[in-house]
Amino acid sequence: MIEYLELTIKNLTFRKMRTFLTLLGIIIGITAIVALVSIGEGMTKAVNDQFDKIGADKIFVASMMSGGGGTGQSLTDADVRLVERIPGVKFVTPIYTLVAGSEFKGEEKALPITGVPAKAAEQTFSDARAFRLMEGRWISQGDRKKATIGFKVHDDFYRVKVNVGDKILIQGNEVEVVGIFADTGDNDMNQRAFMDFDYLREIMGKGDEITEMVVRVDDISQAEAVSIRIKEALEKNHDTQSFVVLTSQELVKQITDSFKVIQVVFGGIAAVSLIVGGVGIANTMIMNVLERTKEIGIMKATGAKSIHVLRMIVVESGIIGIIGGGIGVLMGYVISLGINRAAEQYLGPNVLTTAVTMELALFALTFSFVVGIISGVYPAYRAAKLDPVVALRS
Amino acid sequence: MSLLKLEDVCKAYQMGKVVVPVLKNINLEIERGEYVSIMGPSGSGKSTLMNLVGALDRPTEGRVLLKGKDISRLPDDRLATIRQRMVGFVFQQFNLIPRLTAMENVELPMWFAGVPKKERIKRARDLLVQVGLGDRLTHKPTELSGGQMQRVAIARALANRPEIILADEPTGNLDSKSGEEIAKILSGLNDEGKTIIIVTHSPELARMAKRIISLRDGEIVDDRVS
Repeated sequence: MIEYLELTIKNLTFRKMRTFLTLLGIIIGITAIVALVSIGEGMTKAVNDQFDKIGADKIFVASMMSGGGGTGQSLTDADVRLVERIPGVKFVTPIYTLVAGSEFKGEEKALPITGVPAKAAEQTFSDARAFRLMEGRWISQGDRKKATIGFKVHDDFYRVKVNVGDKILIQGNEVEVVGIFADTGDNDMNQRAFMDFDYLREIMGKGDEITEMVVRVDDISQAEAVSIRIKEALEKNHDTQSFVVLTSQELVKQITDSFKVIQVVFGGIAAVSLIVGGVGIANTMIMNVLERTKEIGIMKATGAKSIHVLRMIVVESGIIGIIGGGIGVLMGYVISLGINRAAEQYLGPNVLTTAVTMELALFALTFSFVVGIISGVYPAYRAAKLDPVVALRS
Repeated sequence: MSLLKLEDVCKAYQMGKVVVPVLKNINLEIERGEYVSIMGPSGSGKSTLMNLVGALDRPTEGRVLLKGKDISRLPDDRLATIRQRMVGFVFQQFNLIPRLTAMENVELPMWFAGVPKKERIKRARDLLVQVGLGDRLTHKPTELSGGQMQRVAIARALANRPEIILADEPTGNLDSKSGEEIAKILSGLNDEGKTIIIVTHSPELARMAKRIISLRDGEIVDDRVS
């Protein structure tokens, strides 16, 4: 085998330009695969990060009525009590989300607000990585007229920066800022204030309505079963169209599914370029065989069997494949790094982090080797079948 | 038993729709240790005869017996094995592989025969020393003169210790001095017991042989011991 490799290297370095051009075909294909798949991996990773932010042990129940003008009845405190009694439920946090009129230093703006029971706020969200405090604290028990605000609300939502201790007017009521979250990279989260649930409903005149509830389960593996029980319980009082129940997993799955389409498209593009690369190898090897007809005749005259000739050509094309693959993996890696930097520049840090995994690199190498081998089979067969008498005469 | 025996051998080539006979009813016996030259004008069938004897080709009719064994109907790979073990070729064009060094060219037939690397290297070096190229081991063919290239080719032909050396116009591309050296090497090999068969136009080279066979239009017209 080592002899075949030695021979191959001599053959490949003999026609450097042609070898290079042949390699290029495979390099482009593998580079495309590695770069595109690494973006795909980055997307999947981004989704998983999102999953971590949400926390895995949660079930979300959302009313489809609030603000939507549906016909059914909105979810209420009674539903919260109903869900609290379902086996497997650890605790339920009711939430009221809306956009309210706000005023800060004379500037009026519509501000998205999430109302959450002050005593349960930290417990509900703190394990979700999205919410890390930059300054101050979470709203907590007894904090009626207090708010913890997102990074953008503090930073540039109003013309003047909002700091801990400042007061914002919500619907004409003074609310004191007690904490500011660090930048989450997500505008929806950044541009939001968290206030006490009861106080918010009071000033907005919303009675016992809720828009969502976040349910935590005792056992993550039971989340699916609990979510079904919640659905069944709520269906007794509500139209099935008037609410949705989603586990964290389901939420993540919805996002990943939409990425799959993109990955298939990427994969298609990469596959086409690899096929072109393979045809390139086959073409070069056929040229090689034609050009080396006499040599193959000499080898046969000196005792080479068909299998020797066959192996020689197949090894050569396999080597072209794997060298092209190796360079392709490196270039794909470089491109992937480049995309990372671009993403950081334009999308913000940690939004999309592409990754060239060891599996991907190994797969790309194996794949390019196989493409090389397959491309070499036909030329090798032709070479092996050459009649030595005819070959010597050429 | 003769080393080589041809019985009523005919060889014809299909040229389009026409069948062109090249060899007609050749009967020939060559004993071990003979030095035979085959002469004749171009187109007389010398090279075709050489290919048949060297197990490169099969006759259309008749039998080629090597050490009593009929090789005229063997499959390709069996013929390859016979070429590996029994026959060494020397060509007019030298036919060395240009990318390989002198050593590697000599090693090639041993590689095909599965000789272990150590043994291959030792034998290749010994053979190159034997043909007077001990100082040219790692030279590529392009760095060698015609006479040197042909000596590498002879070393290669000897690599697997064949019984028969077949040389097709071995001095045809050489100046007279190099030609004489090659002729001398071939005679020397014959003295050591190798059976040598050469195809040549050259009367001087032919005279080195102990037996001269003349071909004309695919038939043996003369076969005499000098």
